[in-house]
Amino acid sequence: MNDKRHDRKDVELDRYFALARQAPRDISGVERNFETRVIARIRESREPWYAWAWRLAPVFLALVILLAGWSISYSPVHPADPVATLAWGTQEVALLDNLTGD
Amino acid sequence: MAEPDEDADLVRSAIGGDDEAFTELVRRHKGTVLRSAARFARNPAELEDLGQETFLRIYRDLRSFRGDAPFGHWLSRITVHVCYDALRKRRREEKDVSLEVLTAPVADSSTGNGPSAQLARMILDQAMSRLKPEDRLVITLFELEDRSVREVAELTGWSESRVKVRAFRARQALKRHIGGDDER
Repeated sequence: MNDKRHDRKDVELDRYFALARQAPRDISGVERNFETRVIARIRESREPWYAWAWRLAPVFLALVILLAGWSISYSPVHPADPVATLAWGTQEVALLDNLTGD
Repeated sequence: MAEPDEDADLVRSAIGGDDEAFTELVRRHKGTVLRSAARFARNPAELEDLGQETFLRIYRDLRSFRGDAPFGHWLSRITVHVCYDALRKRRREEKDVSLEVLTAPVADSSTGNGPSAQLARMILDQAMSRLKPEDRLVITLFELEDRSVREVAELTGWSESRVKVRAFRARQALKRHIGGDDER
């Protein structure tokens, strides 16, 4: 009984294989100009590392423009009095000395 | 049909840096590689990846082609190895995600194939996706590509007895998956 069921399943499986063999996959879409894409990928893999530097040039350029814009627009407020200007950076130190009792 | 002698000449030229020669090799053999890889690919994008990976590997290993066997045989072996690697990688990913995904099948040729053939292929694809990569590889080469045990052994680099055992196990597993577990 079990053997018969196995036979039936073998026959069924063989039928599936036979049908699947008759149904070839359509590869025409991938096949079209495939060699061009392969060669392009091979050439890309042969490129030296510094070839990438040129591709990153726009990014570096944008970064330089941003930094230049920021440095132009950045204008810290300095007191007009020269003594106050000298003391400008020492305020925090003075406060710290005062708090620590030095 | 590609001529073996011409293939050997093209290989020599490609090794010497002639891209046009390698392009000609790809043009000649892309059909064989893609038809074989299509048995393992789930969709056209994956087929493209498998095809490209195969030819990239061929390009890298051109110098190891000794020319004592036809270029087509060497190319088929590399195709099988690339597809096997892809099956193993996919298996690891599917284990991680623990999903059983039914993806859109690669389209049928427009004529001559009724829905039953396509349905059979989809059912087989589903059942075969549950097999271990080595079982799937063997059963695909053996049953779907209609190759002999010896050919499968040559393509995979495994012994003939290992191929037979794998094919038997794969068939048993497929029978369980396709017909349900009614014999238990």
